[in-house]
Amino acid sequence: MRRETQNILLVLLGGALLKISFTGTYLRYVKASHQWLLIAGGTIMILLAAVSIVRELRGNRDLDDEHDHGHSHSARSAWLLILPVLAVFLVGPPPLGSDSVERAAGNRPEVPSTEGEGSALFPALPAGDPIALPLSDFSSRAAWDRGHSLDDRTARLTGFVVQEGDDTYVARLAISCCAADAFPVKVKLLGRELSHLADDSWVEVDAQLRPGSATRDNSYVPSATVHTVRGIPEPEDPYEH
Amino acid sequence: MTETVQESPPRRRLTSLEVLCALLVLAIVGQSWLSDLLDVKAVQTGATVFVAVCVQALPFLVVGVLISGAIAAFVSADRLRKLLPKRAALAVPVAGVAGVALPNCECAAVPVARRLIQQEVPPSVAVTFLLAAPAVNPIVLVATAVAFPGEPRMVLARFLGSLATAVAMGWLWARFGKMEWFAERALRRLPEHHETRDRWGVFFETARQDLVDAGGFLVVGGLTAAVLNVVVPRTWTDALGEQVLLGVFVMAVLAVVLALCSEADAFVVASLSTMPLLPKLVFLVVGPAIDIKLFALQAGTLGRRFATRFAPMTFAVATLCAVVVGILVLPS
Repeated sequence: MRRETQNILLVLLGGALLKISFTGTYLRYVKASHQWLLIAGGTIMILLAAVSIVRELRGNRDLDDEHDHGHSHSARSAWLLILPVLAVFLVGPPPLGSDSVERAAGNRPEVPSTEGEGSALFPALPAGDPIALPLSDFSSRAAWDRGHSLDDRTARLTGFVVQEGDDTYVARLAISCCAADAFPVKVKLLGRELSHLADDSWVEVDAQLRPGSATRDNSYVPSATVHTVRGIPEPEDPYEH
Repeated sequence: MTETVQESPPRRRLTSLEVLCALLVLAIVGQSWLSDLLDVKAVQTGATVFVAVCVQALPFLVVGVLISGAIAAFVSADRLRKLLPKRAALAVPVAGVAGVALPNCECAAVPVARRLIQQEVPPSVAVTFLLAAPAVNPIVLVATAVAFPGEPRMVLARFLGSLATAVAMGWLWARFGKMEWFAERALRRLPEHHETRDRWGVFFETARQDLVDAGGFLVVGGLTAAVLNVVVPRTWTDALGEQVLLGVFVMAVLAVVLALCSEADAFVVASLSTMPLLPKLVFLVVGPAIDIKLFALQAGTLGRRFATRFAPMTFAVATLCAVVVGILVLPS
C-alpha cells in the first residue's frame, strides 16, 4: 500500500476518534473517562499522517527503503483500517441493548468480597421515596444484602425494556472498560401488564423488590412489583459502570 | 470495484489510492444498504463490540508506537549492546527486564530482535527481548490493570508469567540454540547509518509505520472479538469455566489463533466474564509470546527453520509458566 493511502487512512481514523469524542457517541463504546484518551489518540494519529505528508511534499523519501525491510509483509493488513472508519462514519453502531441481554444467562451480581454467599451487609440507603438506584446496585442488594435494605422501599430504576417469553424486564448493561466487556443486569417486572412496551425502549420504573426473589436458580434475577412506568429518552450514557 | 479496474488505462497499474477512493465512494453510495445489512440484531451487537474494541485500544496503540519510534530514533542498538553483561546467562535476565523499559508492539519487536542479532548481540539475549518487550512493558501492564479493575494480582501474574517465559526461552536458547537455524539474511550486518539521518524523521516515520501495521492487526482482533461475542453462546463459556484444565488448553490455543495485539488482549479476555482467572492468565501470557501473526513474522524475518523450532517451544514454555505463576499468585 502506498504511503499516501496509509496517511489518508490514518487521517480518517483519527478523524473518526475525534468525531465520536466530540459528539458524545463515544459513550456507546467506552466509558466516559476515555474521552481525553480518544481526543489525544486521534490528534496524534492525524499529526503523524500530517508530518509524513509534509515530508513527502518536500521530497524527503529516503526513509522508505530502510524501514520496509521488516514491514513489507504486513502492508496488506493496513487495508483493514478502513473498517472502523466506515463503521463510525457511515453506520454508527447503536449501544448494546436487548439482544445482548437475551444472549446472557442471567445476572452476575458482584459477590461482596467480605463474606460468603448471601451474608453481606450493604451500606444503608439514603432517605427518599422513590429512591433512584442503578440496576446493578438494586440486583446485588436483592441477591446478597442480609440487612434487607430494599424491603419496603420503592426504587426508581432506569433501563430499557426486554421482552422474554411472557415476561417483561427492565435491563441495562454494565461495562467496566468498553462495550466488549459488558454484562447485563435485569429485573423482572410484575404486577402489571407490560407486554405492549417495545424492546429497547427506555423507561423509568418505580417498583418495589419482592424479597427473596433473586436466587441461584433464576441466576439472581430479582422480581419487583411495578407501581409506575414512564417512557424516557435514551440517556446520554447508556451503560452503568 | 471491477468497473473501476476496467475503466483505467490497460497498462497502468491501479494504485492503492485509487482503490481507497473507489471503496469510499462505493461505501457512501451503498450506505443505506450497509445500514440495512446491519439491522439484524446480532450483527448490530457485533458491530458495536467491534467499534468498541477498536476505539478503546487505538489510543493505547498510539502511545505504544510513539515510544517504539523514540527508541528506533534515539537509542541505538549499539548503545544497547554496550549496556549488556558479557555472559549470556546473565545477559538474558537483563534483556528480559529491558523489555520493561523498551515497550514495543510484538510486530515491532521482531525487527528489533533481528537488528540486535545483526549487531552481534547473542541470539539468546535477542529472543529474550523479543518475548519480553511486547509482554511486560508498562503500556501492556496498565492496559491489563484497566481491563481487570478489581484484580491487581492479574497484573503481577501477567508480568511474572511473561518474564519467566522470556528468560526461560533465553536460557534454553543459550543451551540448545544453533546459529544455522537463522536465515542467512537475518545475520547479514547492515551498515549503521542512523547517525547521518535526521532523528526526528526516523521517529515520525517509525511511529507512523508501526501504527499503520499494528492498527491493521488490531482491527483483526476487534473483528474476532465481535464475532466471538455474538457467536459463542454464553452457556458454552460457562461450561468451560467449570473445567479449568480444558479452559487452560482452549485459551492457550485461542491466544495463538486470535493473534491479538498485546495492548488490547486484556480487554478482550476480560469480556469472557464467567471464566476463572487462570485460563485468562494463560491467554495473556501465551498471546504476546506466540501467535499466528508472530509466527508468520518470525518465519519471514528470522527464517523458517528458526520459527518452526522456536514457536512450538515458546507455546509450551509460556503455557507452563502461566499455569505455575497463576497457581502461585492468583486467588483461587
